[in-house]
Parts: sequence; C-alpha cells; structure tokens
Amino acid sequence: MEFDKDSLLKLGKLSKIKIDENKLSSLSSDLGSILKFIDRLQSIETDNVDPTSNSLDQSLVMRDDIALDENSAAEILENAPEKELDFFSVPKVIE
Amino acid sequence: MMNGWELVIGIEIHAQVKSNSKLFSSSSTDFGSGPNSQVSLVDAAMPGMLPVINKFCVEQAVRSGIGLNAKINNKSIFDRKNYFYQDLPQGYQISQFKDPIVGNGFIDIVLDDQTKRIGIERLHLEQDAGKSLHDQDPNLTFVDLNRSGIALMEIVSNPDMSSADEAVEYVKKVRSILRYLDTCDGNMEQGSLRADVNVSVNKPGDELGTRCEIKNLNSFKYIHSAIIYEAKRQVKSIESGERIHQETRLYNIDSGETRSMRSKEDAHDYRYFPDPDLLPLEIEDKWIEEIKSTIPELPDQKKNRFIKDYNLSEYDAGVIVSDKATSDYYEKVVKNRGPKLVTTWVTSELFSILNKKNLTIDESPVSHDKLGELIDNIESGKVSNRLAKDIFEEMCETGKSPSDIISEKGLSQISDEGELEKLVDDVLLANPENIEKYKKGKDKLFGFFVGEAMKLSKGKANPKLLNELLKSKLNT
Repeated sequence: MEFDKDSLLKLGKLSKIKIDENKLSSLSSDLGSILKFIDRLQSIETDNVDPTSNSLDQSLVMRDDIALDENSAAEILENAPEKELDFFSVPKVIE
Repeated sequence: MMNGWELVIGIEIHAQVKSNSKLFSSSSTDFGSGPNSQVSLVDAAMPGMLPVINKFCVEQAVRSGIGLNAKINNKSIFDRKNYFYQDLPQGYQISQFKDPIVGNGFIDIVLDDQTKRIGIERLHLEQDAGKSLHDQDPNLTFVDLNRSGIALMEIVSNPDMSSADEAVEYVKKVRSILRYLDTCDGNMEQGSLRADVNVSVNKPGDELGTRCEIKNLNSFKYIHSAIIYEAKRQVKSIESGERIHQETRLYNIDSGETRSMRSKEDAHDYRYFPDPDLLPLEIEDKWIEEIKSTIPELPDQKKNRFIKDYNLSEYDAGVIVSDKATSDYYEKVVKNRGPKLVTTWVTSELFSILNKKNLTIDESPVSHDKLGELIDNIESGKVSNRLAKDIFEEMCETGKSPSDIISEKGLSQISDEGELEKLVDDVLLANPENIEKYKKGKDKLFGFFVGEAMKLSKGKANPKLLNELLKSKLNT
C-alpha cells in the first residue's frame, strides 16, 4: 500500500517540511505501511468501548489562579536564535 | 432580507477569561507590559514543560455556560489543534474539539420589540496565541509571547441570525452577560472580546449557500459593516453567474471591504487529537451547583424587574440594563424617588453628556448622589425642569453639588404666591393693549404673558403656579 504523493506533499506543506523529490517514493511506502497497520487496528470491534483520550484512569489536577512572573524577557530569549528589542525575530511573515 | 435574498449568519466569539494567570501556566495576564516579560517556560514551549490547568478559568467557563443557559459537561477533553505559525511556539494550540466543557444553550435578543432566541452550540476553553508585529522592520517579524497561553472561551452560535442588526445584538447580549458574570471584561478595543462571523446567502426556500468566514472583528461597527459588505459581495457574485467558494476572509477597516485570506484548498488541516499531556477534565455536579448559587441577577431578569418595579418601557429598561454599571447607577438614583423623572434624566441628560464627552458611566462627571439631589430639587418644586438642565450643565463642568449652584446663583424657583403675583401684575400693567386683544378672543396671547413673566423672573417662576395666577387674573 502506498500513501499517495499529493497527500504527502500537502502534509509536508502543512508541517512546513520540505520533502526532496527523490525521497518521495520511499516516504510514500513508509507511510503506507504505517497506514496498513492502522487499518489492522480499525478492524478491532470497538462499538461498546468509550473513546480513550488518555490511558490513565485519573482526572485533571487543577492549580489556583496565582500569577507568578518567574522568567524575565532576557531569560526567555536566551535560547532564541534571533532577537531584537526583547522580541523573538523571524524572517518576515506575510500571509 | 435583501433584494429577494436571505442572509444566514453564525458567530464565534473569542472572550478572554478575566483571570490573573494563564490557562496552563502561572504567567501574569496583565495587558500592556513589556514584550516577553510575562512568558513562562511552558508558554515558550521549552522541552519537557507540562501544562497545569487553572481552576479559576475552568470555573469562569462554567459560570459563563450557566449564564448562556447551557449544559455543563461533567467530562471534557483537551485536544491539540496543530498548525505552524511563528506566534504559536508549541506548534499546536491546546483547545477542545469533540468534548467541550459547555454544550448547547441559548440567549434571547430583542430587536424592534421582537424577541428572538439564538442557539448556542458550545463553549470551549482554549489558549490564545502570541502577537506578531510585522511593521517594526522591513525584513523581520517580531514576536511577543505575553498573550500566548492566556485563557479564551470560544462561544459558537448556531447559524440563527438573519441580519447584520441581529448579529450585532447577539454579540452585544453575549458581551453584556459575560460582563454581568464578570468572567470577561468585554474590552473589544484591547481584543478581550472578538468575533469571527460566518455569512452565506440563499434564495428563500433554497438550500443554504456556501459560507465565508470573516475573522477577528473587534467592534460592533466592524461586525455590522463587514456582514453587509460580504452579503452584497456574495449576492453580486452569484447573480453574475459565479460560485461562492468556502474561504476565510479578512475585513479591512479602512476600505470597509473583505478580502480573501485563504481558500478551502489551502485551509489548515488541524489534525486534532487528544493532548496526551492533559487528563480528562472532570467537573462534579456538586461544584456546578455551588457555582450556580453564586450567579448574580442577569440582564434579562433585571430588565423584567425594572419594567415591573419602576414601570419602565421595554426599550428604556433594555438600554439601562445592557450595561451593569449603568443599571447600578440607575438603581442608586431611583431609590426613594419617582422612576419616571429619574429615567428621563438618566437616559436623556446623563447619556447625552457621557456620549458627548465619550465617557463611561463610571467616569461620569456627576455622581449618582448629586444627580439624585438635583432630582429632589425638581420633585420638591424648588427648581423647574428647565432650570435644572442649566444646573446640570454646570454640575458637569464644575463638579459642584446642585444645592451649592442653586444657592450661589440664587436659582431657587419662585413659588411664593405674593412674589409671583407681583410679577404677574407688572407684566399685565406693561401690556394693556394685549390684554384688550386677549379678552376679545385672541387666546394665543396667553403664551405671550407667560413668556414675559418668565423673562421677568429670569426663568425662576414656578410654571404651574404662574399659569394658574395668570389665568385667574386674565379671566376676571
């Protein structure tokens, strides 16, 4: 089973990942085999099973609404590849 | 309906939760701080950081749900909505997809004295994104993550609205309810409340048309004109034989036009899936009941009470209760006073000065105490309504109390019969020819005598007494 190339290119576009022309066919077949495995899972009878969103049988723990400013702008920007005037800076984005 | 076309409108409102800290981190939510000064390692999506939910935000979502007459779900799930953008460091927004915290509800809107029920499909909690600044540098985009991770309530309506006016009324009503509940400050200029509007057109009896979504409208005016523009654009396209394509559009506030942002083909495929970092959110009935017991009187209830207790018209009551602060002010003034006079003063004189000076009721130059005092002076007959307007104007300018202005300027109304009689006699003495004419049947001259006497009293004569006196003197 092959994952069709158009869907693969669209997936790349959505993820902002550039896919080389010569990788297309091997990636298609890799993804195809993953889908084939998913197909096998699809055949399992799940009509009487609630959808599982988490494998732990627990619910969310909540915290109180207390504001703490733990990090300064300098700390937060320390790992940024590019920064300007306390902002992260990235190549111009036009949409 | 326009030129034989029907309009169908559905609205998504994004309302920022009024909390101290963010939805999944402890960073402050203050508006207007220095860039990236309120960003935690969670908000910046540093590796290994885990989200912990803010209990207060959950409570506010439940409160809002109750205020929207909606079902609160005992169990809800947080999902990842995946997309790639520079102001979303996680690469996904934590949102709720299949199982939101709040389900079906409704609100009622009133337009031209007609009540219409608008269905609410859901309310869910999600994170806000950061802010991109595109205009600071010719080659760079700057990113500020202060807003990143702040809690939003997305409120989705059913496509139940059929005009721009209804759409605006709907957003106004939701905003008013959230402000009464104090779950969102409703500040549209700062972006605390913004709307995405879905618009389609169809011929009566036909299937629904293809819809377009106009994103991020942050004023009632923009919502209204964007819908009008978009509906006209769609009708024009269809009538000239084109097809409407489902797409996302942006409203240009300068030109008043909408333009395509992305088409369905380029539409994001968000690949939602349950966030493995977050367990299901469970809310017990006991907690819901506790929250229910703290819900204040909401606009609709207050409106009905005002109509009943103060004999207000549907319209006046609607205007006064639409803003909680205004209704509080009104109630303080109306206590122990005649509602009719209070309503007139609040809805005409006070509102007009606030409009003129572009102030909110909290910034009113005249406090409720002082307006009350002025109305007391009218009710007791000490000043006439006309004089009261001059006094009110001076109160707005100087902030003085009405009693001070009245005594400083000697503005008290003349109700003393002896004094009035002298006034009337002076006027009659000065105008013998007009008395002659009046007695021969020229009734209209009565107004002339009233005017002369008023002038002589510098506007201070009690009009009712003056009329009576003049009538009795002229008719004998």
